[in-house]
Parts: sequence; structure tokens; C-alpha cells
Amino acid sequence: MYVFFLIILLILAAAAGIFLWPARRSGTPKFKALPRPFFETESAGELGISVPVSTRSAPITPEIQLPRSYGVDRLVLMARDPHWLYAYWEITATKQEDFTAGFGPEAWISTHPVLRVYDVTGVDFNGKNANKYFDFHIDEHIDNWHIEVGEPDRSFCVDVGRMFPDGRFVTLLRSNIVTTPRGSLSDRLDEEWMWIEGLYRSIGRVQYGTSSPLIIEELALRKGEIPLGITSPGHWNPQANEANGDGS
Amino acid sequence: MSKGYLCFVLHAHLPYVRHPEHEDFLEEKWLYEAITETYIPLIQVFDRLLSDNVNFRLTITLSPPLISMLTDPLLQERYVRHLAKLIELAEKEEGRTYGSPFHETALMYKARFQQAMYVFCDQYGRNLINAFKKFQDCGRLEVITCASTHGYLPLMMIHPEAVNAQIKAAVDLHTRHLGRPPHGIWLPECAYAPGVDDILKRNGLKFFFTDTHGILYASHRPRFGILAPIYCPSGVAAFGRDMESSKQVWSSQEGYPGDYEYREFYRDIGYDLDLEYIKPYIHPDGIRIHTGLKYYKITGKVDLSQKEPYNQWRAEEKAAQHAGNFMFNRQHQILHLSSMMDRPPIIVAPYDAELFGHWWFEGPTWLEYLIRKIACDQDIIEMVTPSDYLQRFSCNQVAVPCSSSWGNKGYHEVWLSGANDWIYRHLHMASGLMIALANSRRGARGVLRRALNQAARELMLAQSSDWAFIMSTGTMVEYAVRRTKTHINNFLGLHDQIQGNRIDEGWLKDLECRNNIFPEIEYSWYQTSAPEAKAV
Repeated sequence: MYVFFLIILLILAAAAGIFLWPARRSGTPKFKALPRPFFETESAGELGISVPVSTRSAPITPEIQLPRSYGVDRLVLMARDPHWLYAYWEITATKQEDFTAGFGPEAWISTHPVLRVYDVTGVDFNGKNANKYFDFHIDEHIDNWHIEVGEPDRSFCVDVGRMFPDGRFVTLLRSNIVTTPRGSLSDRLDEEWMWIEGLYRSIGRVQYGTSSPLIIEELALRKGEIPLGITSPGHWNPQANEANGDGS
Repeated sequence: MSKGYLCFVLHAHLPYVRHPEHEDFLEEKWLYEAITETYIPLIQVFDRLLSDNVNFRLTITLSPPLISMLTDPLLQERYVRHLAKLIELAEKEEGRTYGSPFHETALMYKARFQQAMYVFCDQYGRNLINAFKKFQDCGRLEVITCASTHGYLPLMMIHPEAVNAQIKAAVDLHTRHLGRPPHGIWLPECAYAPGVDDILKRNGLKFFFTDTHGILYASHRPRFGILAPIYCPSGVAAFGRDMESSKQVWSSQEGYPGDYEYREFYRDIGYDLDLEYIKPYIHPDGIRIHTGLKYYKITGKVDLSQKEPYNQWRAEEKAAQHAGNFMFNRQHQILHLSSMMDRPPIIVAPYDAELFGHWWFEGPTWLEYLIRKIACDQDIIEMVTPSDYLQRFSCNQVAVPCSSSWGNKGYHEVWLSGANDWIYRHLHMASGLMIALANSRRGARGVLRRALNQAARELMLAQSSDWAFIMSTGTMVEYAVRRTKTHINNFLGLHDQIQGNRIDEGWLKDLECRNNIFPEIEYSWYQTSAPEAKAV
């Protein structure tokens, strides 16, 4: 019982220390940093919009921690562009135990994780009939990977698994199948239509991204500031305009 | 008889930045600035054209978050207050600049802000959607929709149900506010992946746009390239963006907006003037922000301190010249192309609406000159909307567009890079959980139904492509990260409460008030209907 009280006291003392320390150090505590009260009465009352008070105050300032894992075995593959894929995965403890149960208690430690990328273009993939595959040997604890495949318009599937020192590979998770986008004109010409080459020649070389996202990035680089619609033009960048002159 | 068509598309979108919890939320100012500098000036342009009986056809996207914000009473009220302060500032500026070369520009701002107040309050009853609906109903604008919260669809296709819900919510909201369902859609970031079109079709949408290579790299190879739409196998039409016309407006090097006579964006009195003087018009914490009053022109490649005074008349002259130049180039393009085709070519020129007025101050003026010139000075170009075109040419080539976007490098990297790839494991998990909830809780009522609907709202808000984009640009990242995490966290909390049968009604009510987008949302939009849909 006494031990219990002692612990409580210690916690209280520590908490008091944490809260008081900055005040002692700075002398003038910054109240600005405190979470503001919700729904300042002025706006709510004035507008006649009923804004209920939360029973559970949810301050906006504290950092939110999203779950590191969801307890679900999954391996998701996405095609980023004609040359790159991105995969993320989660291997649950159960999965790991299953592996250990099947291959012995030392199996997990004596193996290392491998990402096996299969080219399954035009194949009804069953794990064994890929056109080809290549392996990425990765570190433990890595749970996502940008994969350079370098091949537009091909279909891929990815396994995450363990590799034994003798090269034996055991699949833990298998992804969905994705197809990389084309990176050039299709060589499939419609049989019913005629192809007018001149049209394409006049269009010239394809240039990507002369568009709002690009101009926005350019402007952001230029000024360290992003245009409206993407972010507040007025919020960032106070120092860029310390320029002289005051408009008159 | 015209020789070709110009399909001019304005994509108006802002992320949902409504923050009732704070009176002065910086991000809310994005909306106010866009209203004053883009939406109202565009509405004024269209109204002038209408009253002068100038014929024009334009396509405009009103994204669902934008419609939601423009029709929100709290934001309307806050905008009126914001604008009243601006008018007050402009009046002070009139006195301060008296006798200086900036006086005329100060008067211009005062007049503009006063007119904005008139347009916003008196003409359209604080609801600018009324204006766009008016132009739609008298046949000048084709208003189309966008995904519900501007979700990046190709990276959501792991769960087709989640894409379907984004489209359903968008079509539903659009129909409620514009009185008719949209015929077409602007895919967020112009981002397409095969399969998206099937979902569009299911929701009654008949066309969308892709970037140039989305059509050029389609398979089979389209006979007319981007000069005619193609049909996806689903029967939905895809129009490709024309590179040449885009470059003239977009390119920060060669584009019109960089002309030396045009207004310089980065010299704003919010930064330039004495803190004491400007304090009431910037953030109450003393954070300097753009006020919208800017007195300098771009001048040339000189330091910000070397900029010269802005002259609105000379800038307007330039806008007229540039409009003429744009038209001349399109005529030239059309004459050249039409000789190679058996039908008139269509040139699709889409732009972010916020470029006009906010970034390119003279943009709306340029657009007005362009429309007047096209209507009065020539008969080579005819302005059409995609629906007009498809009515005239219902037979088009069938091909599958190439997965693409209008972002840097043309594919999905901007929204899937080292800076933002972490969001997808959460977004996909939440989508999967939402679909499972919708499938297992059919016909829910009361609090459970409200919780399910709110969970759907939180998921959609987390899916905005704006957050991933901001993360990849590397500035203002904190807000984007916080918004993503907040909405996912809210979703997960609701999910747990629903699963555990212990819904915290107070918290639910708080969320409903704060994140009140899509009041008519139906969680059942997430139900799995098609047999091919499969959660990973």
C-alpha cells in the first residue's frame, strides 16, 4: 500500500516538475502555446449556429500517433510510374510464429527477409509460372520499398518472404498484381482505323507536367512558398519580403 | 463555319479548410483570398459577357469541398467580416498613398473590394454557387464535378468501393446544389488509371480529362491523338490536354503571367508596411500574411526591392494583347490540324481556376478579352464544352487511356514519394475497414447510422490529394500531416466505437459539427456491389 502511495507521489512530483520547469526557466511562460478553447463564444453566438460542446475535448495541437501496425497480414503493391513500383507490408506475430512452427525455432534468425518481384505479364500467376523474377535482399524491420523495375506496361506481383542461407525462399505474403503505365506510344494499331503519322509528328515531343502542380513546384522553389489552393500564400515565408519600400 | 473547337476548362478547387474551432485560422484565408481574387472576378466577367450578350461556352469544375465551403453559413459570415476589414484597409490606403504613384492602384483595390461585397452579398445572397448555377442554366457554363474530397483515385484503386464512394458523394452533392447531375468530371490532379472509368460510368458520368500522354499513349493508339476524344471500353469519353495552349499560360518562364507589366505577387503590404499600421489586417498573433493589396509590377528579373509601381491600364493592355496572341496561336494550330483530319479538331485547355486572379492577377481580364475576341473577331475557333462535342460527334475511337496525371514527370510520383508514401498504409486500411463496416451494418439507424456516416466523412477528408501534394512540396507540411492524421485518427476512433458498441455521442456530435462536409452522405456508398471488387 505504502509503495503504491509512494509511486503516486513520485509521479505527481515528476509531473509538477515537467510543468513547472519551463516556467522557471523562461520566467514568462508562453500562454500562446496552450490549446485554445474551442468555439469562441463570439462567433458561435453571433451566427446562431449551435455548436455543441464536446464531452471529450479533443485539442488539435498534440501530435497524433497513428498505429504502427494494424495486426493484419498484408502486402500492397502500387505502380508509381512506368519504371517504379511501391510496396508496403505488415507481417503479424502470428505469421512469424507460423513460420517458426513450420521451419523450427531457429528458422527466423537464420533467414533474412527478401522481396521477390515477379514479372507476370500475360500470365495467370500461380506462384511458379512468372516470366521472370528478381530479388531484393532487405534489412529486418523494413516494411516498405520503392522498387525500380524499369519496364513500362508490364504486370508485376511481389512476395515478401524469408531466404535460408542455402538460397531456399519461403513466401510469407503475396501482393496484388499491378501493371506499370505505358511510357510511349502504343504499338497496337487499331485494325479498323488508319494511322495518320503526320498528326503525331506535328505534336512534337511529349512534355510532362506543364500544369498547375508543376508551376506550383517551380514557384515554391523560387520563393519557398506555395500558391493558393495548395497552401496559404500568406502563412509561410515571412522573411522573403524583408525587402525595402513600403508601397508608397 | 468554324474549323475547330476550343474547350476551355477551369478547375476550381480548394481543400476543405473549415475550422470552426478557431476564429482566425490561417488556412481558412485560402478560401477568402480565392473568393476575392478569383471566384468573384470570374463571376463578374461572366456577368458582363452575359449582359453584353456575348456568346461563350466554358467548362468549369466546382469541386465538392469548394461547393461545401461556399455554401457554408459560418464561412460565408466569416468571409463578409474578412472583406469588410479589407475595405477598411483599402480606405486607409487611399489616404496613405495620396499623391504617390500608388494612389490609383489603391483606388482600384477599394473599388474592387466594394464591388466584391456587392456581388457576394447583394447579387448572390452570399452563395456564389447561385452565380455558377445561373450561368449554367442560361447555357454558358458546363459545370462538372470532381471526386468528393479530391482523392487521388489511381492510388485508391486497391479498393474500388472507396473510389466509388468518392464519385457517388460528388455527384450527389453536385446535383443538390446545381439542380442537375453532372455530365462529366475533372479527375483530381488529372489522374487516371484503367478501371476508374468503369466507376464513373456506374455513376452516370460521360467524360473526363487526362493529361496529353494519357491519350497519346492509349492503347490501341488513337488515330487523332489528343485532337479528338476516345472512348474507354466502358463507353466513357476521355479528352486529352493540349500541351501548347497549356504552356502559354502555365510556364513560369515563357507564359503570359510572367510579363513585366503584370502585378507582382510577392510585394504585399502585409509584409511591406509597418507592423503597427498593418497589424489589424494580418493575423492577430502578429504573423504577417498577404492582404491582397500589392502595388508593384513584375518589372523584370530584378530584386523584390527594385520593383516598379503597378499600372493597371498598361497591365490591361497587355492582357488584351496576350488574349489576341493566344487566339492567333489557336487559330494557327486549328488551321494546321484540321487539314489532317476528317472532322474539326478539339483543343482542350484546362487550368486551375485559382491561377486566374490570385496568381495571375490579370487572368480574368485576359479571359474576358479572349472570349470577346473569339466571339466577335473571327470564325475559325468555336468554343465548346465536352458535352457539346459528344453530341455532335457521338462516334469515337475506342482505346484504353494510359495511367497518368498532370503532376511533375507525368505519373503518380508526386503523390507517392518518400515524403508521403507512409499515408497509404493508413488510408488503405481505413478504406478496407469502412467497406467492411458498410457491408456488415446494412440498414443501420440512429446513432449507429450517424457514426457510420461520420466515419465515411473522416475517411474522405483524409483522402484529399492536397495533403499528399503539400507533403511532397516540402512547405507547410505540418498542416497537411496533421490533417491526414487527425481524420484517420477520428476514423479509427469511430470504427472502434462502432465495433465495440459504445459510441460516444458527445464526441460524435463534436465531429459532426467540425467536419460537417457532405451532410447527406450515405455510408452505404461504401458497400461492395460489383463482384470483381475485392479488398486487399
